[in-house]
Amino acid sequence: MKFRANTAPRSVVNRLQVTSMIDVIFLLLIFFMATTTFSQPEAHLTPGLKEQRAAGRASDLEPQIVDVVRDGDRDVFRLGARVLIDKASLVAALRELPLEPGVFVRVSDDVRVESAAAAVQACRDAGFEKVSYVPAS
Amino acid sequence: MKLRPKQPSSNLLDVDITGMIDVVFLLIIFFMTTAQFARMTRADIDLPQEAGEELDSQMSAGIIVNIAEDGSIIVEQQVIDLNRLVRKVAAEVALAGDDASNVELTVRADRNLSAGVLNDIARGLAEAGLRGVRLATEPPRGGGS
Repeated sequence: MKFRANTAPRSVVNRLQVTSMIDVIFLLLIFFMATTTFSQPEAHLTPGLKEQRAAGRASDLEPQIVDVVRDGDRDVFRLGARVLIDKASLVAALRELPLEPGVFVRVSDDVRVESAAAAVQACRDAGFEKVSYVPAS
Repeated sequence: MKLRPKQPSSNLLDVDITGMIDVVFLLIIFFMTTAQFARMTRADIDLPQEAGEELDSQMSAGIIVNIAEDGSIIVEQQVIDLNRLVRKVAAEVALAGDDASNVELTVRADRNLSAGVLNDIARGLAEAGLRGVRLATEPPRGGGS
């Protein structure tokens, strides 16, 4: 009688019990997925920075200037003598200007950041590549 | 003659789950690291709702300066004053070989913040040598501007 030789090595891997580990890993995964709050995607505006100096050269503020100022209980945009109350009208007014000299956005201290950002965005929307942020003195 | 009884085969299926475990580990590492980074750099700020610009390439965020609605300046989870921020930026500019164009800085200012605070920071950054700043905005939902 011939018995089959028991020479084949038993696989160690097959006997490894990984069930508990997988349970823990899945619990961790579910925990992190449930607790993670995905942040909102952010966009950026990239204006240059300019300082308005009292004794500066006359050419310091030579380009067109959009003033963001407080008027009563709201923020308005001033472009020369024109007073514009919203971003759409500011974009329309800026489109009439030449793009080459660039534009300065001069922001008063008493307006909200949202209005300053809207002015910079309006300049970009109007096609200006050179936009500078100038803190009003 | 007594033969050894045949061992009953295991009921467990021999499923190769190595690949699945690899993927699950990767997912865990992803969620752990991204959650940590978001907490470290971005404070909870209500950003201005603007579409922003289309930037040419994915640039690094650089120094992220959070400005809360109460005017406090938060950098790397620490509330710092303006002088310290200016010193920090000036040190970064010096580290970049006095070339401010190599220093990236993103300002995340609350939309309802008074622009006076932003103006003070802009003056400080200009004093530190920066010639431009990146202002973070939140694109309006729906894609409009």
